[in-house]
Amino acid sequence: MGASPLMSLGMKAMSAAYMAMQTTSHNIANANVAGYSRQDVVLETAKGQFTGAGFFGKGVDVTSVTRAHDQFLTRAATIATSQSAMDAAHSDRLGQLEQVFQTGESGLGYSMGQFLNSFVDLASRPGDSATRQTVLAQAQDLATRFNSAAGQLDTIQAGVTEDLKSTVTTVNGLTQSIATLNQQIAAVRGLGQPPNDLLDQRDQLVSKLSGYVQVSTLEADDGTLGVFVAGGQSLVLGSNASQLVVGLDVDDPSRSSLMLDENGKQRTIDPSALGGGSIAGLLNFQNGDLVDGRNLIGQMATAVAGVVNQQQMLGVNLQQPLGSVASQPLFSVGTPQAIPASTNAKDAGGNYLSSVTLTVTDPTAVQAASYELRADPAGSGQYQLTRLSSPPVTQLVNSGDVVDGVRIDVPNGLQPGDRFLLKPVAQAAGGLTALLQDPRDLAAASPLIATTSASNTGTAAVDSLTMLSQPLQAGATAQVSFTSDSGDYSWQLTDASGNVLSSGTGTWQAGQPIPANASDINGFALQLSGVPRNGDVVTIAPTPPEALSTNNGNALALATLRDVTFIGRTMDASGNVSGGATATDAYASAMADIGVRVQSAKSSASISAAVSDQATQATSAVSGVNLDEEAARLIQQQQSYQAAAKVLQVAQSLFETLLQTTTG
Amino acid sequence: MSLRITTAQAYDTSISNLQTRQQDLADAQNRLTSGKRVASASDDPVAAARAERALATMMKTEADQRALEASRNVMQQAESALGDAGDLVQQARELIVNAGNGSYSDSDRATLANKLKGLRDQLLGIANRTDGAGTYLFGGQGTKAPPFVDTPAGVTYQGTSGQSEVPAGETLPTSVDGSRTWLQATDPTTGQSNLSVFNVLDRVIGELNTPNQAGDVIEQQVKSGLADLDASADNLLSARASAGEVLNRTDSIEQRNADAKLAAQTERSNAEDLDMVQAVSDFQNKQSGYDAALKTYSMVQRESLFQYLSA
Repeated sequence: MGASPLMSLGMKAMSAAYMAMQTTSHNIANANVAGYSRQDVVLETAKGQFTGAGFFGKGVDVTSVTRAHDQFLTRAATIATSQSAMDAAHSDRLGQLEQVFQTGESGLGYSMGQFLNSFVDLASRPGDSATRQTVLAQAQDLATRFNSAAGQLDTIQAGVTEDLKSTVTTVNGLTQSIATLNQQIAAVRGLGQPPNDLLDQRDQLVSKLSGYVQVSTLEADDGTLGVFVAGGQSLVLGSNASQLVVGLDVDDPSRSSLMLDENGKQRTIDPSALGGGSIAGLLNFQNGDLVDGRNLIGQMATAVAGVVNQQQMLGVNLQQPLGSVASQPLFSVGTPQAIPASTNAKDAGGNYLSSVTLTVTDPTAVQAASYELRADPAGSGQYQLTRLSSPPVTQLVNSGDVVDGVRIDVPNGLQPGDRFLLKPVAQAAGGLTALLQDPRDLAAASPLIATTSASNTGTAAVDSLTMLSQPLQAGATAQVSFTSDSGDYSWQLTDASGNVLSSGTGTWQAGQPIPANASDINGFALQLSGVPRNGDVVTIAPTPPEALSTNNGNALALATLRDVTFIGRTMDASGNVSGGATATDAYASAMADIGVRVQSAKSSASISAAVSDQATQATSAVSGVNLDEEAARLIQQQQSYQAAAKVLQVAQSLFETLLQTTTG
Repeated sequence: MSLRITTAQAYDTSISNLQTRQQDLADAQNRLTSGKRVASASDDPVAAARAERALATMMKTEADQRALEASRNVMQQAESALGDAGDLVQQARELIVNAGNGSYSDSDRATLANKLKGLRDQLLGIANRTDGAGTYLFGGQGTKAPPFVDTPAGVTYQGTSGQSEVPAGETLPTSVDGSRTWLQATDPTTGQSNLSVFNVLDRVIGELNTPNQAGDVIEQQVKSGLADLDASADNLLSARASAGEVLNRTDSIEQRNADAKLAAQTERSNAEDLDMVQAVSDFQNKQSGYDAALKTYSMVQRESLFQYLSA
């Protein structure tokens, strides 16, 4: 038995210890590299050599270098990353949206309140041009604030689009790198050993990718990794990567949508199928919260401009000749939009065959919602209208029907498969404009004036005279004469030359207007305080021109709007409206709505961030490098190296002993 | 099996914890310096909505208060104008009583008539007074020109009867019904409400200027003139009383508005302002938390096996 087996055993042991130290040093070197997995040399006892005296060990072999890696934990971590990135993106954007719904003096609610309150001042000094100027300035301020809110929303939308584009560019870079790594990994597969560092790199890229878009992965037999999005659409297959593209939304070109480019053909990816990632967070925000925010603001703008215009046009302004210049609306708002889907049928010239027009008929019944209109799938010839709220509300309508204060006209019908996105209020705030410049244009005066006769014996006095429409007979005078002590009255309407135009009777009850229905006499509703007695007379005559500059009848009606629930009334099938909120309440609840969203998005984001942290920690507990551990291993390996060297030294001295013996 | 601590992860976690604590501390400081618990709706949506409604109530009571001031301004002036008118009517009454003196000659009566004429013109001036900003106190529901006009047939009313009103928490008048005040006293002989104070004076003046009247006729005219003037004075007095009544109401409405505004301010403050004591203690809590985190970080992260492997 010679010294050479001992020599080779020592050599092998030294080399194993050296390789172990090399790996440990590699671990130490990469301790701070993201995605690095701790590596280990796999040692195996060499097969023993049989002799008559039994098996003698032949030392140690290094069979492989492996990485500490847990497929399951890694996958869990990427999914948690996707969720967390989505929630964070959503929460960030909602924070921006919240800036549009400011509290207190910088909010839209305050502006609406100030504007409506300015009519109280107008009522106090209807003839004062400085007061009139103040009202116009408040109207201008209101319009500006709504415009700037709409502008902020546009900026947020532009930011979302920009972010989507840059994110998609990054995603495309990542998928390309994964495809390249796939190629490299497949190439070294034949060597029989795992390319640990390449695998780490690829896992790290997938982890990064999943921050932007949630992916599922599937490893193929050749070692390449397939990467899929949105439930099975392939992003990376072998060494090929598909491109994601940001394009215009099919239904609404003002929004962006995510598309997958398949050989030049772009297919929209449904955002709800994305699952997670910051792209999903951005798209959900864009298609949900941002649309809702825009609609909420648009609804308020439409309603406040609508009711003020209505009342303003019922009054009389101070333009010359007094009392004969029709009052003009105070505001104009952005028009309702009906947007054809880009897939709708077109003629040879590329123009859409069908069209839809929207008209706001009752600004108080307009809802903060968008709608989708398509032909009734059942083929009834009617149209299916879906309110895009949660949950969606679907109903069948005909052309010309009024739904939620908006009339829908479909002049040419719809082609099969056509659909329209209806946005009655989305542009309202951006297009809100204060139209009047001349203080005299404000219609503070009422066209009619009610006076009680000097000879009345009852206590009845005029409490208010409200115009519900323009006077039905211009220049006509109505006289209401009470014919009993219990409120029975007869009335007649006479023109300027005393001809009786119409007459009738009615019964007054405390708290009820005269007449019961404004169109019965001359478009007014008269409220009395006190009690009229038999023979008492109330005259409702056109306001004389010399009284117009100091009459405040219409300003009073405008001032009552601060307590009128004119926003978001409910319109039933027969067109009756009820409910609604005052400007203050509507704004307060819109603000609280957005506030609640921000709050819950923040808490979702912090929860999913914690989950993601935990998953990352669990992965790194398996894969990460602990420097203390490596230090300990280094000492251990250094000692084995020293021991192995000792074996070699012993073998060498044995050999020398043997030489001396033979030569000596 | 316990989890392995990964060195890089341990650093990352510590750093992110430090950042979180620093952020918490900055937030607490921000709240302390702004004094607001609710800076944006998401801080507390319910409280933010409450504060919003309270703010609207404050604005509304402020607008109401402005309307109230407008009404008070007019009614104070109307009240004082009616006071002046009462004095003038009293002087006129004394002149008319003097005119009944049987020893007065025609020219004595003509002098009295002249004096009466002066009083009457002053009264007309009072009836056409403005609030100083162009609004006629007795303009009723509106007039651009002086509401009382001297015509050959006597003083007529050009305004619209009734009164203008403003919403000031409750409805308050911003003008007085001139026709009812000056022209519609109850006639003591007919019982009808159509007695004009100007007509009464004009009639007496006319009669005093008529020469060669018998003593009993003069006595009769003075008597009926006095009765009519007293009826007019009553009417002016009652108009003054109702103006005073409005001013009283104004005071109590003002008090109610002020109460409503204060309640709204308190509501707003309760909803969105910071409880300072709690906030300060909260801040100190966060501060010591951050401090502890910094200390332990510097202590723990120094520890490493490599330190003990020197040489």
